[in-house]
Amino acid sequence: MPVNSGARIFRHHTITTRGSDMAVKFFGQFLVEKGLVSRESILAAIDLQEQKNLKLGEMGVSMGYITQADIDRAHNAQFSKDMKLGDLLVEMGILALNQLQEIITRQKETHLYIGEALVLVGALNSEQLQQHLNEFKLDQAPYVSDKIELPAGVANSKTWEMTADLTYKMITRVLDLQFRAEKCQTVNQLGSNFMMAALDFSGDVEARYILSVSAEVQKMVAKAILREESVEGESVEILEDTVMEFINVVCGNVAAKASQMGQVININPPVTIHPPAAGLPVPEGHTALCFPIHVGEGEKMELFLLIRQ
Amino acid sequence: MKKVLVVDDSLSVARQLEKIINDSGDFICVGHAKNGAEAIKVNHTENPDIICMDMNMPGMDGLTALRSLVVLDKEVKVVMVTSLGGVGDKFTEALKLGAKNVISKPFEADNVLQILRAL
Repeated sequence: MPVNSGARIFRHHTITTRGSDMAVKFFGQFLVEKGLVSRESILAAIDLQEQKNLKLGEMGVSMGYITQADIDRAHNAQFSKDMKLGDLLVEMGILALNQLQEIITRQKETHLYIGEALVLVGALNSEQLQQHLNEFKLDQAPYVSDKIELPAGVANSKTWEMTADLTYKMITRVLDLQFRAEKCQTVNQLGSNFMMAALDFSGDVEARYILSVSAEVQKMVAKAILREESVEGESVEILEDTVMEFINVVCGNVAAKASQMGQVININPPVTIHPPAAGLPVPEGHTALCFPIHVGEGEKMELFLLIRQ
Repeated sequence: MKKVLVVDDSLSVARQLEKIINDSGDFICVGHAKNGAEAIKVNHTENPDIICMDMNMPGMDGLTALRSLVVLDKEVKVVMVTSLGGVGDKFTEALKLGAKNVISKPFEADNVLQILRAL
């Protein structure tokens, strides 16, 4: 369903409001944070996973497709080529594509999950595991991505759809704001606004996440983050800090969701930008996606993703 | 009453945590540090029982500070409070380095206090 269709004009109504758990988590963290398993048990389970879950190279060796010397050669080649080990082994002619697929399939089939590992180390029994898994799924249900449409031809589109989706969900769950999300567009200029908060992604993707807010929206963000009825008299520094903290929370959760998708995203501390009236140009070599977000009566936020091509 | 040091580059998070801690009746906030290096200094002067520390900070980040703190002070209990809690590798690294728990942002007061009381 497109973002700007009538059915989801006020997303507020489709999502549970504030609960005790508002962040994207993985199962092990959920259990420790809730006090359902101890820190020592989870560390023992992670140790077991590290012993049992073979890395791609180790699995390739155990299946007799490659040798340790092949892995060393490929690791050396990785210094000059930004490729994953498996793809590089194929490119170097060491591994056939079907062998790589067999290795990946075997890794998936034999993967020891954290819940299973906790049962093996005696921290949980099977019934408790099932019960906690059900609780976890319920806890994380609000963070299952909805469909968001990006313009055609954007690389890593799933990541950016997830980023926009999590932003919308956090606007609802953290800021408690009703809004209307307009369809995403590619832009050549970042439109101006009262202020922007920006945060850089590195790792498997390189991009800058920017949220621009009007003066009124900045106050709304500050009230929610500071949990105050009024923010009159608060310093400019603290008002700006609340917007930076909001995007820090969103982007940390984007990194968590990305890691569940098998992607590494590192985040840097956020910064503030005061854009000129003409807006900001899109740097060369970047694609800029704009997600306009209308809040209340005539107030505007915009999410920009400046993606390095 | 147990003494808590808050370490976060965000003034607004520090304010939120300080309020939760001071309103609890069980804990008192004894200071705020804006990065890992400052945390090590304030830990030395204020000698807190608990440190609530962010991971993603300019200057010295939370995990680097955690490495030093567990060596310098065997008594202090460190809880990471971070938006990166759901990143499996970061969570695992924090626990392996000696953090007692990892609280994800956004957090609720009840959840924070439940974890601090369980330490």
